Amino acid sequence: MIRAADLHKRYGDLVVLDGLDFEIARGERVAFLGANGAGKTTLFRCLLGLTDFDGALAVDGHAAGPAGEEVRRRVGYVPQLPPVYDLSLDGFVDLFAGLRGVSREAAAERLADLGLSLEETGGKEMGELSGGMLQKAYLAMALAAETPALLLDEPTASLDPASRREFVRLLQEVDGDATMLLASHRLEEIEPLADRLVVLHRGRIAFDGALEELWATAGMTAGLWIAAPPAEREALARELRRNPAVRAVHPNGTGVRIDADEADHLDVLERLRRSDVPVVEFRTRPPALEEVLAKLVGEDGEGPR
Amino acid sequence: MTIDRPLVRRELRDAVRRYWFLVNAGAFAVAGLLFVLFGDTGSMLVGSRGYARALAGLMQLALVFVPLMALVPSVVAIAGEREAGTLDYLLAQPLTRTRVFVDKWTGVGTAVVLSVLVGLGFTAVAAALKGVPGGRIAALMGLTVLLALAFVSLGMWLSALTTSRTKATSLGLTVWLLLVGLGSLGVMSAFVQWGVPAGALEAWALVNPIEAYRLAAIAILDPEAGVLGAVGQALLEALGVAGLVAASVASLAAWSGAAFLLGRRAFSRPDRRGPGRTPARSTT
Repeated sequence: MIRAADLHKRYGDLVVLDGLDFEIARGERVAFLGANGAGKTTLFRCLLGLTDFDGALAVDGHAAGPAGEEVRRRVGYVPQLPPVYDLSLDGFVDLFAGLRGVSREAAAERLADLGLSLEETGGKEMGELSGGMLQKAYLAMALAAETPALLLDEPTASLDPASRREFVRLLQEVDGDATMLLASHRLEEIEPLADRLVVLHRGRIAFDGALEELWATAGMTAGLWIAAPPAEREALARELRRNPAVRAVHPNGTGVRIDADEADHLDVLERLRRSDVPVVEFRTRPPALEEVLAKLVGEDGEGPR
Repeated sequence: MTIDRPLVRRELRDAVRRYWFLVNAGAFAVAGLLFVLFGDTGSMLVGSRGYARALAGLMQLALVFVPLMALVPSVVAIAGEREAGTLDYLLAQPLTRTRVFVDKWTGVGTAVVLSVLVGLGFTAVAAALKGVPGGRIAALMGLTVLLALAFVSLGMWLSALTTSRTKATSLGLTVWLLLVGLGSLGVMSAFVQWGVPAGALEAWALVNPIEAYRLAAIAILDPEAGVLGAVGQALLEALGVAGLVAASVASLAAWSGAAFLLGRRAFSRPDRRGPGRTPARSTT
C-alpha cells in the first residue's frame, strides 16, 4: 500500500532521509522509532506532501508530494502537537469534516466514541480544551474520514499516563484493515499497536522487523524484577549475585532488577524459593527501548554494532 | 445562504467573529456620512456638484483607509497560520495548495468587500438622497471594491512569502506607506521639480493602485473639480474621462490578478523549513 524507494530529503547541508526503501502492506501496523532528528517526522511530512523530496514515495500507486491530493485523501493524520485553531470545537469539526467530505453526524459519533460530546463541548474554544481532549478531537477527525491509512506522529506526546493508556486502547479498537504508521518513543504504545518496527538512524533504516527480533538483534532480553521485604533486600541481592546465571544485579526501587537469559528466569526464582530469602513479588520487564536503540545504533550513535 | 467551501466559510466566520469587520464597516460608514452631510459646507458649489466634491473628499479617505482594511486581514491569512503551526494540518487534508490559496483569498476578499460595501452603502444612500447620480455612486463603489481586491491579493502574496504575523504585517504596512507616500501630490510635485520625465510620472500614476484609484474616482465624480493634480490633468487630456477610468480600472484589475498569481505561486512551493516544533496557537 505504501512504498518508498531511494527516498532522500535534505535541508541545506543536513541530510535527514538518506535513501529509504520500504514497503508497507495494507492492514500492517508499523512503528517508526528513532532518536529526535532520526527522520520520522520528516518521513511523515514527505508522505503528507508538506515538504518536497527526492526519490519515490507512493500510497496505492499515487505519488506523494505537495501535489499528492490523492495520497492525502487516503491518509488520516494525528499530529504530534495538536495545533490549537482559533475556533470552537464546533468550528473545528465543521471545517475539517467539511474538507474531508464527512458529515457532522459522523464526526460527532466518532467524538462520542472517544468520550467527547459535541453537544456539551462543541461551543468551547479549542484553546480551552485539555491536551487529551484535543488529541481525541484530532483522532476523531482522522477516524471519521475512514481513510485506509492512519498516520500517527507521536500521538500521545502531550498526554498524561492515564490519557495515554486510554488513547492506546482506542487505537487498538481501530478497524483491523486500516494501515497504521506510528512514530513513537514509547514501548507501552508500540507493543500493543505495532506488529512491525522500523528503526531510523540518521535518515537510514537501522532495523526492520518485529519487536522480539529487535531485542535479539540488539542482544537484549527481558529482565526480571524481584521484590523482598525491605529488611531482606540486601540478602536478596547477595543471593542473586551467587547465582551464575545472573549476569548483573541492579537494586531498583523496592526490589532488584537482574540481567539473565529469559530461559534462566524460572531457575533463578526456584533457587530463591529454596533459599531463606522471602520473595514478595516478581515481574518480567522488557528491556528499556532507549537501551535497545542505543545498543542497536551504538551508544555513541555512530552506527549499528 | 450556504457556502459549499468550508475554508471560505471559516474565513468569513472568522471575519465576523473578529472586530475588524464591524469596526471597518462602521468607521467607514460614519466617515462617509460625515463627508456627505457636512463635506460641502463652505463650498461655493451647490446641488449635486457640491456633493460630488464632498464624495471626492470621501474618496481621499478611502484611498488611504481601504488598502489598510484589505491588507490587515490578508497579510496574516497564511503567515499567521504558518506561525501558529495550524497550516500544516490544513495542508495535510485532501486539498491542493492552489485550492487552499483560492479559498482563503475568496473568504478574506468577500469579508473585506462586504465591509467596504456596508460602509459605503450608508454613504451611497445619503449621497443619492442629496442628488448625486446613482450611476456615479455605483461606479465609485465598484472602483472601491477593485481597490480593496487589489490589496487583498497584495496582502495574500506577502503572506505567502512570510513566516510570521509580525513580519507579514510590517511588510504590508511598508508597502502601504510606500504606495500612499509615492502617490501623494507633494511627492509627485517633487518628482516634477527633480526633472523626472512627465511620461514616467504618468505611467507611475497609473501603475500605483492608490493613485490609479484616486484619478478614476475624481474622473467619475467631477473631473473639472481641479483636484486631479498636474499629472492627472495631463492624463485626462490625453485619455479623456472614459480612457482614464478604463486605464485605472485595468491597473487595479492587473494588480489584483498579478498579485494573486504571484501569491499562488509562492504558496504552491512547499516550505523549506525543517519539521521543528511549532507553537500550537492559531491567530488567524
